[in-house]
Amino acid sequence: MRCVAVNTLTLAAITLVYLAAIVVLGWLGYRQTKEHEDYLVAGRRIHPVILALSYGATFISTSAIVGFGGVAAQLGMGLIWLTVLNIGVGILLAFVIFGKKTREIGQRLKAVTFPDLLGKRYESQFMQYAAGLVIVVGMPLYTAAILIGGARFIETTLVIPYDSALLGFAAVVALYVVLGGLIAVMYTDAMQGGIMLIGMTVLLVLTYVHLGGVVEAHNALAGLSSMVPEALAAAGHTGWTSMPVLGSPIWLTLVTTIVLGVGIGVLAQPQLVVRFMTVKDSKAIHRAVLIGGPFILMMTGVAFTVGALTNVYFVQNNGMIALEAAGGNVDAIIPAYINASMPDIFIIVFMLALLAAAMSTLSSLIHTMGTALGHDIWRGIMNAKPSLRASQAGCALMVGVSVGLAYLMPVSIIARATAMFMGLCASAFLPAYAAALYARTPSKNAAIASLVAGASMWFLWTAFVHVKESSVLGLSQAIFGTPALLSSFWQAVDPLIIALPLATLVLLGGMAVERTMPETAEKSQDTVEGEALR
Amino acid sequence: MFGILDPQIWFAYLLALGFTLACVLYGLLNWNAGGDEMRGG
Repeated sequence: MRCVAVNTLTLAAITLVYLAAIVVLGWLGYRQTKEHEDYLVAGRRIHPVILALSYGATFISTSAIVGFGGVAAQLGMGLIWLTVLNIGVGILLAFVIFGKKTREIGQRLKAVTFPDLLGKRYESQFMQYAAGLVIVVGMPLYTAAILIGGARFIETTLVIPYDSALLGFAAVVALYVVLGGLIAVMYTDAMQGGIMLIGMTVLLVLTYVHLGGVVEAHNALAGLSSMVPEALAAAGHTGWTSMPVLGSPIWLTLVTTIVLGVGIGVLAQPQLVVRFMTVKDSKAIHRAVLIGGPFILMMTGVAFTVGALTNVYFVQNNGMIALEAAGGNVDAIIPAYINASMPDIFIIVFMLALLAAAMSTLSSLIHTMGTALGHDIWRGIMNAKPSLRASQAGCALMVGVSVGLAYLMPVSIIARATAMFMGLCASAFLPAYAAALYARTPSKNAAIASLVAGASMWFLWTAFVHVKESSVLGLSQAIFGTPALLSSFWQAVDPLIIALPLATLVLLGGMAVERTMPETAEKSQDTVEGEALR
Repeated sequence: MFGILDPQIWFAYLLALGFTLACVLYGLLNWNAGGDEMRGG
């Protein structure tokens, strides 16, 4: 966002106050971090309000607001189905069905990371290594995407060179993550979540005020359906207040990649799962649900609604739809709208909200990668005792890797990183994670087979079929001479839609086979008796 | 409904608001449930 209309001194002063608050909260985290359990799971004593805001702020990155808000400006209000899943699956299901059990089992087994939880529940070091490896290999790409987005944003708003923005952004976040661990991350997340809430609330209210009211704005948007570009109409776009044609390419992208891919993918995100282990009891989880639902509604619900409505503003003021007004760049729509329509003071508030969204997600990713490397992999291989220093070193190293990737990776791959990482996590982890929480006798072999099958199928579909990624990765072109295999219908289907059911079937099949084996049946009986005695 | 004619869209808005309300009610109804658990699973 370019804040040319905003007084630079005011902007710099507010940014400094924001950074000072971050430093204070980071210092508080540092002071309260005495041992590895403090660093990894915030000492299991986080307040429910902090949990809810931290979970929400980590969940919602800048790309969820600017990127997906821009997609809503392009494709319309159908994106609100993602908000339905964000709240129904990402909060209600995640906290009530997954979160409470995760906390209970995590506390009982003294698990301190997501891979540690899987490893201890399945009594499998391999499971811990494999989950840690997926995080250490897959997450830096997503982290680099967040870093680049944040740096570009700082570059344009504060008018400083890109390299300085990138390195400064990474250094500030690294400082409080490396020193203060998850306590510092969650304290800063909570403050950032509060800023995001203020920013999005003002954005919604001012948008409806600008457009003459709720019903008037929606009526105006519905009246623009004749202005849908021909290429989009041919792909199934029917207008901004209606769903695309069933089964059309836009419908498939909207439903499989955006709504289901991102909506379900959130359930097995290691950086979110670990937050359930930061509270001491289920009461804290219950209370966090009360805040988490409305928070997410005000994030994605507002971003997608306002995103679609930007078309009305640009048509009324510029005579063209939002995509045209932003020069065809979906990511530029929301910033262009804010700059064109909002008062100066709000531009600063929104700038801070976006910076907060980027920092909260980035800090959580660095912490998750660093602890996977330092605690789950390095400590396991060295057979060492849990160590605060190992996790800190892991975090510092992963910051370096992510910054390096941000310079090396092509922008085209970075742009796909968020959806790719969510899909990979759900495909690899979700069935095994669910079974770890709810199976009476979780099967180690079935879980490993499910993780390997899910991750492998996700990779094959991503590299060879789902054209949005395969055309960028270039493997299919190099081996088969075509950007993607199979028909155009399948090329639009997200890898998650194929890999997750496969991983689930492999898990269920493996568990069924194991149940028929005499020694497993005996162990199962022992477990049932053991649980009855507890 | 509210200027949106396609039921697939306004139903999504209703569901989003419904789930939000469910979150609030769940939190309120279980406000003091599950406190001070020492172990679980």
